[in-house]
Amino acid sequence: MTTGIWQRNMVSWMLVVALLPVAAALWIEQDGAALLRFGVALVTILIWQAVFLIARAQPLSPIAVVTAFAVALLASGITEAWQIVLAVSFGTVVGEQIFGGWGRNFIHAGVVALAFLYFAFPEVAHQGTGIWVAISVLPGAALLLLTGILSGRVMIGAVVGLVVVTLVMGADPGAPFLQGSLVFGMVFLVADPVCSASTRGGRWLYGGLAGALIALLGWADVGIAAPQAVVFAALLAAIFAPLIDAGIIAATTKQWREHNA
Amino acid sequence: MHPTIRPQVADQIDPNQRLSAIKPLGLGLYQKGLIGMKISVRGGLPYPLSGPAISGPTDTVKTDCIALLGVDYPGMRARVLVDQGATVKAGTPLFEDRRNPGITVTAPVSGKIDQINIGAQRRLSSIHITVAGDDRLSFDVSKAHTNEGLRALMQSAGLWPALRARPFDRVPPLDGQAAAIFITATDTHAQAPNPRDVLSGLETSFARGVAALKLLTPGKIYLCQHSGDALAPADEQTQIVNVDGHHPAGLVGTHINRLHPPSRQKPVWHIGYQDVAELGILLTDGHLTGQRTITLSGPGLSTARYLRVRWGADLHALTRKDLQPGRKRILSGPALGGRENRHLSRYHLQATVLDMPPERPRNWLVAALRAAAVPAPFVPTQAVENALGPKLHVVPLLRALSIGDAESAARLGCLQLAEEDMALATYATGGEVDFAARLRDVLTTLEAS
Repeated sequence: MTTGIWQRNMVSWMLVVALLPVAAALWIEQDGAALLRFGVALVTILIWQAVFLIARAQPLSPIAVVTAFAVALLASGITEAWQIVLAVSFGTVVGEQIFGGWGRNFIHAGVVALAFLYFAFPEVAHQGTGIWVAISVLPGAALLLLTGILSGRVMIGAVVGLVVVTLVMGADPGAPFLQGSLVFGMVFLVADPVCSASTRGGRWLYGGLAGALIALLGWADVGIAAPQAVVFAALLAAIFAPLIDAGIIAATTKQWREHNA
Repeated sequence: MHPTIRPQVADQIDPNQRLSAIKPLGLGLYQKGLIGMKISVRGGLPYPLSGPAISGPTDTVKTDCIALLGVDYPGMRARVLVDQGATVKAGTPLFEDRRNPGITVTAPVSGKIDQINIGAQRRLSSIHITVAGDDRLSFDVSKAHTNEGLRALMQSAGLWPALRARPFDRVPPLDGQAAAIFITATDTHAQAPNPRDVLSGLETSFARGVAALKLLTPGKIYLCQHSGDALAPADEQTQIVNVDGHHPAGLVGTHINRLHPPSRQKPVWHIGYQDVAELGILLTDGHLTGQRTITLSGPGLSTARYLRVRWGADLHALTRKDLQPGRKRILSGPALGGRENRHLSRYHLQATVLDMPPERPRNWLVAALRAAAVPAPFVPTQAVENALGPKLHVVPLLRALSIGDAESAARLGCLQLAEEDMALATYATGGEVDFAARLRDVLTTLEAS
């Protein structure tokens, strides 16, 4: 029999391709500093992937590029390489590799690494990225939606949640979409196919929850321009995703349950 | 993007609920079965299959050797009833199920038993027959107008294994009760035979077969067909269901999921359209034809065509004339979910010839980096969910299957499914996890519990 091409590595290569325009925009905005962060993070992740390849026979995955890029983009204030090494080691090992690698994890490794950075080094101020990054995310997002890698439900749910809560809080609903780090996080961290909810209704709820949390944290806490909002929203939503799925399944599968005496 | 059912009447399981959903004017018509139901599968996956288009008339080709395969009857422990070298007529019982005595598989042709191959765990692997002559047993059809009489006839003629029961997709016991019977006159596999073309000329036999199946169950008969004129007359018991959409719209698992999900207490039976026509011919003539119409296609052939062949026909002999140069894989069944096999399987209606992928020199380090001992997990993209037809929680179900969690899989609806429904999941996730095999493992666990 024949098999399709959409193996795990193919999906992660598509994510990498979707990143290319964002990388170009980031180069224009920040040039060398971002590249340095990306390089340090990528080397660290690859070392950990090799460790788990030898110790646990887990295959390597190009998803390392996506994780490293997320750290490079959203941890813009970091200047010390050792901080990135520490945070990315924590993120890739605890967020991904100990579960069996990308596909078996339940939180995005990049989100874990960034949350570690924000908590461990609170004195560092992180700048959000600008409108060019926000625009450059769009072609990649369209590619991923067309190839069926991202769920349109999660994306629409997140946009609706973000706009509704922004309106409730009396802010400008268009403002979040001009923030590059926020748009990038919504596409590549929140809508990650592995970590988002996987049931049909669950995807709407998950997207809506993530969008609402971005708006809540952004407007009420760190500021909508800060990358922390989208990272912590993605972290919280991913933690709730299995619960959302379990609820949807419990509510909809009663009819298939067997009634054994 | 999602598979949905848009019935002209609602498709709840309980007919009373269904009736309440339609207008009073239509009520009488529906009860008479005159309003058709409709299944539209949005999404699905039109998977590509290159190779020549099917053309030309249906040739009848008789191969010298046929084989009945043990792998077609996975739940069966076979007791072989014939000896090697014996001469058999068409209709002679060849083996029966030890656990359900009376369920026999009969010879579709007359000839000499050439080989009886026993495989691992003393399971029957195959019985090969060299075809000779045209002797066939005739069967008494005088009692076939009752439930018991029809069962006895189908059993003695060897047509009973044409029926399969879900959950578990096994040949049902001879005294089993079906909550409903699905007749699958749809086929959405790439380059599969068109049921309407195959049945043209056999309309009477098909209608007779459909009418006979009504004796087997007090429940509904769902005749699932591609949209168009009804293939057999509808009545109170027989419901015509028009099916639209890409593969897997034509799979019986999709129909069963939408119309009548089974349970262990209320199993649902299904039967293919060519077997229904065969039953009609048996009831008319008193013997089987032992033939079926298949398509022979795929990128490894120079021409693709319809063929009328015997059950278990030798695919190597059928394809030899049209093979293109190079190494090929000859599959019984569709490119998606077919089995590499020399002989045509009992339930397959097509054979596909694919090119053998070229062997690349493998470097040990590259091989180690690409695929380590732990298989890579599948990534639950939206495309995987869209590709599957049954309205189930696809990703949680696939996750449960991939780790062998039988309890969760049962709760998520795996009892409605069989291997063929999972072939598309394997395809859409790149073939790293064989979900059909995982599903069978889980079903075996559940069957024993």
